Amino acid sequence: MKKKVALLLAAVMVTSAVSGCSGGGSTGKAAVGGGNGSAETEAGGETAPVDPAQYEVTEPITIKWWHALEDQYSATVDKVVSDFNNSQDLITVEAEYIGSYSKLNEALVAAHAAGTDLPAVTVANTPYVAEYGAGGLTEDLTPYIKATGYDIEDFGDGMVEAAKYNGKQVSLPFLISTQIMYYNKDMADEMGITMPTTWDEMDAFMEKGTKKAADGSTEVYATIIPGWDQWYFETFYLNQGVNIINEDQVTTDLGDEKAVAIAQKIQDWCNAGYTYWTGTAEDASSNMRQNFISGKALSVVHTSSLYNNYVDQCDFEIGMSWLPGADTKNQEIGGCVLLIPSKNDQATKNAAWQFLQYLCSKEVNMTWAEGTGYMPTRKSVLETEEGKAFLEKKPAFQAIFDNLDLINPRIQHKGWSQLATIWKNIMAEVMMEGGDVQAGMEQMADEINDVLADA
Amino acid sequence: MNEKKINPRKISAVKDFTCVLPVLIFLAVFTYYPIVELLRISFTDWNLLNDTWQYVGFKNWNWLFAGSGNKYLWNSLKVTVLYSIGELSITLIGGMIFALIFNRMTNSFAAMRAVIFMPKYVAMSSAAVVFLWILNTDSGIFNYLLSLIGVSPVDWLGDRNMALISVLMLTGWRCIGYGMMVYLSAMMGIATDYYEAAALDGANAVQRFFKITLPMLSPTTLFLFVTTFLSSMKVFQSVDILTQGGPYRSTEVFVYNIYRYAMVDFRMDRASTVGIFFFVLLLIVTVATMKVSNGNVTYDS
Amino acid sequence: MSAETTISADVRNESAKRKKKIMAAIQWVLAIIVLIVIVFPIYWMLVSSVKSQEEILLATPTLWPKEFHFENYVNVLNRGNFAKYYWNTTVMTAGILIAQVVTGIFAGYGFSKGKFKGQGLCFIIVLGALMIPLQVTFIPIYIMMANWGMSDTFLGLILPEAVSPYYIFMLRQTFMSIDDSYIEAARMDGLGRVGIITRILAPMCKSTLFTVTLVTFTNGWNAYFWPKIIAKGESRRVLTVGLAYLKNTFAGGESMNNHEIMAGAVLAVVPVIILFFIFQKYMLTGYSKAAMK
Repeated sequence: MKKKVALLLAAVMVTSAVSGCSGGGSTGKAAVGGGNGSAETEAGGETAPVDPAQYEVTEPITIKWWHALEDQYSATVDKVVSDFNNSQDLITVEAEYIGSYSKLNEALVAAHAAGTDLPAVTVANTPYVAEYGAGGLTEDLTPYIKATGYDIEDFGDGMVEAAKYNGKQVSLPFLISTQIMYYNKDMADEMGITMPTTWDEMDAFMEKGTKKAADGSTEVYATIIPGWDQWYFETFYLNQGVNIINEDQVTTDLGDEKAVAIAQKIQDWCNAGYTYWTGTAEDASSNMRQNFISGKALSVVHTSSLYNNYVDQCDFEIGMSWLPGADTKNQEIGGCVLLIPSKNDQATKNAAWQFLQYLCSKEVNMTWAEGTGYMPTRKSVLETEEGKAFLEKKPAFQAIFDNLDLINPRIQHKGWSQLATIWKNIMAEVMMEGGDVQAGMEQMADEINDVLADA
Repeated sequence: MNEKKINPRKISAVKDFTCVLPVLIFLAVFTYYPIVELLRISFTDWNLLNDTWQYVGFKNWNWLFAGSGNKYLWNSLKVTVLYSIGELSITLIGGMIFALIFNRMTNSFAAMRAVIFMPKYVAMSSAAVVFLWILNTDSGIFNYLLSLIGVSPVDWLGDRNMALISVLMLTGWRCIGYGMMVYLSAMMGIATDYYEAAALDGANAVQRFFKITLPMLSPTTLFLFVTTFLSSMKVFQSVDILTQGGPYRSTEVFVYNIYRYAMVDFRMDRASTVGIFFFVLLLIVTVATMKVSNGNVTYDS
Repeated sequence: MSAETTISADVRNESAKRKKKIMAAIQWVLAIIVLIVIVFPIYWMLVSSVKSQEEILLATPTLWPKEFHFENYVNVLNRGNFAKYYWNTTVMTAGILIAQVVTGIFAGYGFSKGKFKGQGLCFIIVLGALMIPLQVTFIPIYIMMANWGMSDTFLGLILPEAVSPYYIFMLRQTFMSIDDSYIEAARMDGLGRVGIITRILAPMCKSTLFTVTLVTFTNGWNAYFWPKIIAKGESRRVLTVGLAYLKNTFAGGESMNNHEIMAGAVLAVVPVIILFFIFQKYMLTGYSKAAMK
């Protein structure tokens, strides 16, 4: 195993090895060249001409990796980290689980402000990339990529784009997912239902997919759309041409006719008992999942990363279906990227860069892709025989592989997370309290405009 | 008295002062200075995400009283007041009723009292996750029990009309025994001759309760009122674990509001502004309750 | 005439006795109902903590576990890093306790038995601090601590709680009730301040000191707000915060693992509940006595 990882490291850093980088072999001896102390003196060297020696790891160092990978992934995390530690002698990585993406966000920004206790490498949920880039929290990786000749071209284009801010490569794609509609294939076959591909087909699908008891109460919901994260419903808006943030960067169209119509439609479905709105409560997610597992929902919209989870827990066949589109049928990238906080010293950053390359490598990526529902990130997997082999193991992923080009980067704006919170709150209020959709959405738009202007 | 021996006295005074000095220094650094700092930050545009900040005058105050912050300020004030009323009712009325029920001086009742009081010592976070589980919409036991009497499932934490009630259930569970104990120990202090005299006058139990017990307990009630009120205004933990201020801010109490601006949005400027407002509010409430407690109470003379 | 009154008195006694009996019965019935309601959450926590995942999800909940799954506890201790949280909470609580007791006793002495200029003003400064809770001042304190590199450290957890104005106030009141003659006599015997405090005042106020210290311990053990803010990472996370994160730790809020969360909840409360039953006498009065004065 150790050897395999060493080989892989060698492959990943094949060009950097020229400069004598340590990653190349299990001997792990650092190259003599470069000289000690160069790292410190050249801190902030991203503007300097590319000099590979600048990014070498020359001394033993222990670095921290913050992640948000829950217990179900801990075996993989342990294995990946220990493989890396064993593969070379200089860098020791300590993985630390911080909490959910939002908890990690809080911790990271706090550490950045204090300038102490920063991790060398951290994951970040995709929508935070812009906030971090704008706030100067992340190290621009472009010079590192150039200096070490890292092959960034192999990542899917949308994924690389999603990891950028303002044209700068401030992060790299790590565990990537997208929204997907999981459906109970056995039940769908039995009911003679095909999954909807456009928003217009939704009405018919919702009606047909719902089973009602004699007293009119719902026994099986046609679908459930999560309300605790706007990520799950925002594509419906985007695909109908609603500008969540206008080009001027300070206004939203979420109060406009088209946007209101979508929300109105969802409210109608809720009222008709075809679906229910999950709301934003703590247990919303597990309740929704439980409904699907126990056959009380024909389908649910959720993240593709939970594929294996669903497969493990459901005793029926699971299908995946691309979300119904409209003018376009785009979806968005979810999951997390990896980045290096900018306030670290250069020696730490250099070590971090080595580890980051390793984590984003094809092999590590495939470890996750096979064991979970995260997607392969590499073109050399996605577009080759390897991809076919992957699909044989997980046929449901065909829906994702067919539409790879349609997976887009997230909207990037400094005020995004505040906008998102307001949005999901209003949606929950309107759906669950049965309020006036028009008034709710318009009022929300005002509030969002305020946030955008102030960000 | 002995003015001549001024020297040893002075030394003694210095030594006595040294005993309290560490505490004074500590309070200066960790209590009083932060208030000044809070006020200063409220005049800046300090966002934790940005590397620099500058003074912006009354911008944040304007935001709080005339801008988009206003709506949520009043919302959190309303929620906090509702919560306080709830906690006060449970502690005062519930505590009193419990005190009457458990007002028997036998060993078995003493044991039961101890058990009723115990939740006060159960860590709030443990209690909160237990309630999270009990109140779970689909698999919680509470909804199951309700279904036995024909009530359809209630979304305890996701429904805006229920969420605060759910938080109060947790609070009530933890503090009702405390109210009971405080009332009971005060009841034992009431001299029995009052009751005997009243009994001779032909007063029944209900009359005796309202004519004697309640008035005699008014200092206790006031004490409970003041301490419970002040602590209820600072509620955070139960809300943080049960609802995170949701659904859609319907349980966003004051401290949670500040916490959100500071630790979720990283707007130190806004959080500080609300923080100062909260501080002034607490001060007014404290002074007001102190004023009230100086009159208006029946003491056993 | 006299015979008549005796009879009526007997009747009255009879009816009063019966009334008392009815009263007692009502009290018993109500007490037991109330008891069941109050105890139920604790019972449910214990029972759920040893059930299997399938069992907690049954449509008809079982009042008694079909099988006992004590491995839930092992899972929480190992996978959820609870052993570390335990250690962190213990160190933090010990630190807070020692700091508050030491500063409290000395300041309590200074304010009660000491004499110096400005004593009244200094005491007002202490009392005033009671009105400024951490929930107001946490932002500047947080920034300060972060700048000193104390986030995610024990010092960071302990320092802002090192002094309790409430504790000082309590001890001052208690020490004041002790007659000065004891102090004078001790002084005659050549005892210094430390001697007076440790040999005279502390032993004489043992019971109050103990009660207040128990309350301080409980508050420290159950603390949540500040630890949540200052210890973002896992290295110094305490039990209360770790418990609230458990849902996340196991499956990203996606999975029903309430059986294991309940096991965590039990683990978090056990030390305090044991203390409660051992020191019931003190703890029952602790809160009320402490705040009454």
